[in-house]
Amino acid sequence: MSKKPRRDLTVEEQLARGPVDLPFLMLTMLLMGIGLIMMFSASYATAYYDPEVSSPLFYIKRQTLFAVAGVLIMYCVSKINYQTFRWLAVPLLIASIFLLVLVLIPHVGVKINGARRWLRMALVAGPTYQPSEIAKVAVILFFASRLSKRDTEKTRKFTKRTYTGRMLNRLEKIGFLELIPYGLVLGVVLLLVVKEPHMSGTILILAGAASVLFASGIGLGWFVGGGAAVITLLTLIIRFTPYMTGRINLWKDPWADPLGKGFQTIQSLLAIGSGGLLGLGLGKSRQKLLYIPEPENDFIFPIVVEELGFIGGTIVIVLFALLILRGYWLALHARDKFGALTTVGITTLLAVQVFLNIGVVTNLIPNTGISLPFFSFGGTALIIQLAEIGIILSISRQIPAPKND
Amino acid sequence: MRDQNTERDRSAAQRRRKAESGSKRQVFRRTVFLMVACGVGLFVPLLCQIWNIAVVHHDEYQDLAVKQQTRDVSVAAERGSIYDAKDNVMAMSATVYNVILSPRDLVNSVSEKKFTKDGVLDEAAYQRAIKEKRELITDELCSVLELDREEVERRILKTDSAYEIMKKNVDGDRADQLQAFIAENKLGYALQMVPTSKRFYPFSSMAAQVLGFCNDEGGAYGLEAWYNDDLMGKPGRVVTTRTGNGIEMYNSYSEYVDAVNGYDLHLTIDSTIQAYAEKTLEEGIKEYDVVSGGWCIAMNPKTGAILAMASAPEYDPNNYGVVTDERLKAMLESQKNTMNVTDEIYQKAVGEALNKQWRSQAYMDTYEPGSTFKALVLSAALEEGVVTESDTFYCPGYGMVPGWKNPISCSKKAPGHKHQDLTQAVQHSCNPAFMEIGARLGSEKFYEYFRAFGLDEPTGLDLPGEGSGIIWPNMSNVDLAVASFGQRFTVTPIQMITAFSAAVNGGKLVKPYVVDSITDHDGTIIQKTEPTVVRQVVSEQTSHRVAKILEKVVSDPKDGTGKKAYQPGYRIGGKTGTSETTVPGEVVVSFMAFAPAEDPEVVVLLAYNTPARSAPGSNIGTSGTYISGGNMPAQKVGPLMANILDYLGVEKKYTAEEAAAADIPVPRVTGQTLAEAKSTLEKRKLGCRVVGEGQTVSAQVPSGGTPIPGGSSVILYLSGGPEGEGTVPDVSGLTFDAARNKLETAGFFMRASGASTYYGNTSKATGQSVPGGTKAAMGAVVNVQFSTPQVEDGYVAVD
Repeated sequence: MSKKPRRDLTVEEQLARGPVDLPFLMLTMLLMGIGLIMMFSASYATAYYDPEVSSPLFYIKRQTLFAVAGVLIMYCVSKINYQTFRWLAVPLLIASIFLLVLVLIPHVGVKINGARRWLRMALVAGPTYQPSEIAKVAVILFFASRLSKRDTEKTRKFTKRTYTGRMLNRLEKIGFLELIPYGLVLGVVLLLVVKEPHMSGTILILAGAASVLFASGIGLGWFVGGGAAVITLLTLIIRFTPYMTGRINLWKDPWADPLGKGFQTIQSLLAIGSGGLLGLGLGKSRQKLLYIPEPENDFIFPIVVEELGFIGGTIVIVLFALLILRGYWLALHARDKFGALTTVGITTLLAVQVFLNIGVVTNLIPNTGISLPFFSFGGTALIIQLAEIGIILSISRQIPAPKND
Repeated sequence: MRDQNTERDRSAAQRRRKAESGSKRQVFRRTVFLMVACGVGLFVPLLCQIWNIAVVHHDEYQDLAVKQQTRDVSVAAERGSIYDAKDNVMAMSATVYNVILSPRDLVNSVSEKKFTKDGVLDEAAYQRAIKEKRELITDELCSVLELDREEVERRILKTDSAYEIMKKNVDGDRADQLQAFIAENKLGYALQMVPTSKRFYPFSSMAAQVLGFCNDEGGAYGLEAWYNDDLMGKPGRVVTTRTGNGIEMYNSYSEYVDAVNGYDLHLTIDSTIQAYAEKTLEEGIKEYDVVSGGWCIAMNPKTGAILAMASAPEYDPNNYGVVTDERLKAMLESQKNTMNVTDEIYQKAVGEALNKQWRSQAYMDTYEPGSTFKALVLSAALEEGVVTESDTFYCPGYGMVPGWKNPISCSKKAPGHKHQDLTQAVQHSCNPAFMEIGARLGSEKFYEYFRAFGLDEPTGLDLPGEGSGIIWPNMSNVDLAVASFGQRFTVTPIQMITAFSAAVNGGKLVKPYVVDSITDHDGTIIQKTEPTVVRQVVSEQTSHRVAKILEKVVSDPKDGTGKKAYQPGYRIGGKTGTSETTVPGEVVVSFMAFAPAEDPEVVVLLAYNTPARSAPGSNIGTSGTYISGGNMPAQKVGPLMANILDYLGVEKKYTAEEAAAADIPVPRVTGQTLAEAKSTLEKRKLGCRVVGEGQTVSAQVPSGGTPIPGGSSVILYLSGGPEGEGTVPDVSGLTFDAARNKLETAGFFMRASGASTYYGNTSKATGQSVPGGTKAAMGAVVNVQFSTPQVEDGYVAVD
């Protein structure tokens, strides 16, 4: 690919060649580095004692490979002029809905622990991935691209002669008609994800979409109403499904069933509790020795605190916080509304995911089963996360450099 | 028009820009809100929660975590051994195993992953695998340990339990077999053999009540209980880390604390003397048909070291829960066969029977010391100077006490002992005489000496459960009179023997003890018992005078009530006793002996508790023996004393007559002339009897070198030789001299044994080693038993 000389480029193209935001990139790489080391430490014992796994390095090898691939993909994505995503959002959304439908078909979607959330890369073979991961990005991109044009849209006018027309006019006035396409898309996607079932995926998609809608300036009343609706719904579900009631009770008192359902939470608390201020030292976790189920996955953070202590855990959380703050900072400085909304969506997604994961392992919130970005084992998830970071980096390229007067 | 248009355009653009900038501001504001909410707001509660768990509640969570992460196995310390005075092992521990099953780990050991395919668990196959494993273990446990199958099956299903003791104390082949089974099937974390120790008592029932025994909690009785802390040692610990599946890992946080083995006890008890004592006790119980057992204590009077302490009935500490005594067994059996006996009552009876076997009558129980106590009254009276050896007493067969209408009779009924001096009064064990001595002493002095002899408090013997006697305060005249011959108050046998020792050992009350030293496993002495003199009770001179008088009790063949205990060569002193215990109907016949009289090396108290009477109220036992200390234990204590003194290597001292009758090897005189032979024999204090005619001795019986009792006559043949055999005559009922003559005439020699053989002819032959009428080789030595007639020292009831 021959490079065009700078003077031949359009303004857009010139901007797209700007430098990526270095603090954001560095924070990402730092978290991923720490994540890999901790994943290695946490997974070592699991791999060692698992007769089906050949080597104690099993997990770390795979994760490293995916991390390398992920970084390459992140770089490539960051190179794409993000304006391309404006029109790419629609086919991406259609594709992800298609995949979400596909995953529900028995024998196509891979079922693990009673949930059908995974698809294979080549449908019948290859590593698995979650279509809901793609759906998250697709929804955010679609919402952002549509909402960025919100200001230029003309107010729809309907004939005042009919009752329907007057009704529609009133709905338009309160901004309801505008929301219909978003509601439809979100409704379809969420329905498909709930069918899997995938609680944490549902929450994340909802959170991402809501953050984009919120930032774009949709009337606050809708959020109050939507929030109230969600809370009512949740309360009803918790009240009337024994499964959910059980989960809530377990959250309130995991010691009620220490060897059964409360086991995971208790083991997690024991790990965090044994960490103390400074931790047992890197690699010296004892709870990872087959006590915490799947320490390399959702429950990796307790191992971090057990080994590195409160201090180490705080450093990791602060790094995440800095990454997220930098993400919003980039959104504030983005060149256009589309970039800003996309960045807000992805950053919020990241923030909510980190919060939910650590909230679960510390028993702050009921168990939802959510992984910790950059830390938990899972190749495709890591790649998609890095690709999302790539999108933000791409947006960051077009931020005009501050003028030095 | 153009202007208008541009004007309109401009205003439209302006409006749009306005709207746009308004919306941009809104996006900005909302993003800042999200930034604060998600970038800061979300993380604050997380940090608080982590702080709360990791720092505030660190200790609680860490304790819980460490508890599950480590396996804390205690390593049993080997219990110390118990040795007798000659370092023979009396109690030792050996390793045995407790079989522990963890039903929980058994389930955990079957990996769910193995039966999971594509995320689906094959429940049926998984359950089958668990069931197979359970059956494997159940089969093995039932076949090797002979456990109840139903019980094992029930317990193996208790999956919330990780500690089920399936069997205790598995040893030898069965343990090896199980170890191999566990290793072979890799069941290490479901089934474990935890080593522990079991107590063995190589001499089985010997000194059982002294040694005691161990149950699951440790020492339960006797020395095992008293010295439990020393014997037990300190159990060690091995702390290892383990994984969630129970796999143990040895690493930097493993911890090892070595077990410290228990200390060894070295006793003053000598198993040889103990064996003598137990044998004597057992023989007497059998011979006199004794109902409630008895006791025998042998003690060094100078140091208080217990050489032997036996109590009957006894038990085997290896199986302490078994009733072994024949009488107790018969009693239980009859109880069992009685109608209307519930299991509860029967079990209670078994418990009582066991307790009877476990208890040592020698130091736990009390009895009235009876006449043996007169020795103490005597020493107190001599010390206080209220009597001397020259004092005389008159006994009409009873005594009167001022203020008491009934006469108190003597063991010898009217006409009684009549005139007697002090020594004779002691020899006779005369009650009226001692009533008078007691009265001279007065109750105040009586109490004083009672306390001084240590009878009002436990002796401090190093054994648990030591009893102590009771004496009533403010004795009336009659109380004092009766107490003077050892009735109306109780003491323990160990108190009595200690007090008696003080009376004959030079006046010192010593503290008895059974543990000579405590050493560690390597033999380093941790603690050594030094003999303790509690106090000087009477002066040395008084003590010698008492010993002299008490020797006469045994050595006087005429008046000595203890004459049946006499053994030639051993200067035994002693005192008889016949009395009651605190249990109604029980009569204790006892004998307190010490030797050698002038410098005692050993004191023995032998007592039989309640020999069966031939008829109710009769003083004659079922064996035909008069029930009294002078007739029963005195008879038995003599040979016991002789054995102990021989074993201790105490030199014998014979009287002139005894020395003459001591064994002398016959010199070889065959071939010598008759005159020469006669003088040779005379030099050796042997007589001769000549058979045939001639000048030279052609043969002799017995042949040269054979030991025969001194004073016997050697048969010299001047012509021809002796016949090979002769008929042994019956000598029973004959006196010493008559018996010897009769045997020698028939060509045999007599070796006498038994009581007071060498004084006059009061004693009669009661048995011979070769029965009369049987054939024996010429010149054979026949052992002949002599016995004195019945001694009148029976129990006197005082009402």
